[in-house]
Amino acid sequence: MDPKKMLIAVDASENAQRAAEYAARIVGATPGFSLTLLTLERPPERDLYKDDAAHRAACQAREGEMRAAQGAIKAVLVAGGVPAGMISAHYVASCKSPQAEGADQCSLGQSIALEILDFAKAQGCGTVVVGRRGVSKAEEFLFGSVSSKIVHNAKNCTVWVIS
Amino acid sequence: MRESARDLLRQYDKKFPLKHAGEIYADTTDIVRIGYGDVIELAGLHYLVLRDEIERRFGVEDVKYWVKRCRCLETNQSKILKLVFHETFPQKFGDAEILCYRSEQKEARILDMVRGDARFMQGFSAPDAAGNLVRVLDVIRGKRLDLTVEDIDADHETYFHDHLPGLLRDWAGACRAIASLHSRDEKHGDIRRDHLWIDYKSGGYTWIDFDFTFDCVESPFGLDILGLGNSLVFLAGKADLTPGVIAETFGERALDSLCPQDFSLFFRNRLVNLRTIYPYVPQSLNNVLMHFSAASEVFYESVDELLGDLMPAVEDIDRA
Repeated sequence: MDPKKMLIAVDASENAQRAAEYAARIVGATPGFSLTLLTLERPPERDLYKDDAAHRAACQAREGEMRAAQGAIKAVLVAGGVPAGMISAHYVASCKSPQAEGADQCSLGQSIALEILDFAKAQGCGTVVVGRRGVSKAEEFLFGSVSSKIVHNAKNCTVWVIS
Repeated sequence: MRESARDLLRQYDKKFPLKHAGEIYADTTDIVRIGYGDVIELAGLHYLVLRDEIERRFGVEDVKYWVKRCRCLETNQSKILKLVFHETFPQKFGDAEILCYRSEQKEARILDMVRGDARFMQGFSAPDAAGNLVRVLDVIRGKRLDLTVEDIDADHETYFHDHLPGLLRDWAGACRAIASLHSRDEKHGDIRRDHLWIDYKSGGYTWIDFDFTFDCVESPFGLDILGLGNSLVFLAGKADLTPGVIAETFGERALDSLCPQDFSLFFRNRLVNLRTIYPYVPQSLNNVLMHFSAASEVFYESVDELLGDLMPAVEDIDRA
């Protein structure tokens, strides 16, 4: 695993933006680094919607938001001095989303954290960068914490948790 | 000419007072309008509405206008019909808030999934004339777990040694039922001790009400596990041990030795650290309970993890 191959987990949160800003300050235009942006789609629950059409529309809207967020993060990195050629972006649709039909790869959605680590391993990324929400105990119990789970489960790689 | 409810009742239920005969509803959209004496037409059968179901919790009666106690005119079987009622609301759990909602599709899907599994309520779903997915449920002949426990006439120590181990073994079976849902990527959604019934005949535990759901990605079963934890604390304590109950039972001074970390992470007035007042609670069981306390730093993520700790603790109660 190459520590200069960095994976940045990206969603539409401010935490992801902070993680990108930090990575840009550290890496800048240093040769030898590569930054992989990974966005795992989290579609809205199907049961929330009256019918498939409404759910599909919501999934499309969510995908639009997340792709836009990924684009914004890439812009943050470039503005921070990282050459665009050093950045690659991956968007993995959820297997539960109608958007995933025909996709080569889809996210099972059972654990975002474990899927991030699996992706990092497959790409040979030796550093994983993730933002941290700063959750209460009650929130961690109910919602889980992606960053905590990454820290607990990471093997053979370095994890940067940006608060 | 279309049959009236009066015609149907005259044909199928000669004892029903015809002066109360209402309307036939093939479209159940207007849930409040449908009441006693009306007949719901669904999937080729007719269900006489007897009343709205009532939920009794914490001494309060809550009428569930969308849940109708019925009798099928053709088969004479008692049934519960759940009509479509959409509600979405944020629910507070301690300082966390979850968006909860009611989904007839989810409940219908789980009914199909658990057909023949007595650990879950049984029934089927069918669309009415307007496409509303109505769930037709068998009536459970039994008693709520919480009322069963409350009605055990014993002091806590006797209850703890003589009744609790058996209750926990049966309850663990109910937990495994929930785990079986989780393994199929479904959640119960509304685990409460009054949503678990004990069948009068078989003694089996049966979960009811699967229509609630919520959206939590990284910990999809967190709310179900919280529900199990709350039930476990209740079972072990034979009551909700609030400061008021503790003071009444042990005297005001008993409260002096308690701190906020002894109480539930989510319900700050419910004691979780039972060993502080019941010293015969084995450490192993208390450790399981403390996962749901304000002191906990680690939480169960799966039912298997919970049971992995609980079952040895039950053995410890037996040995004590």
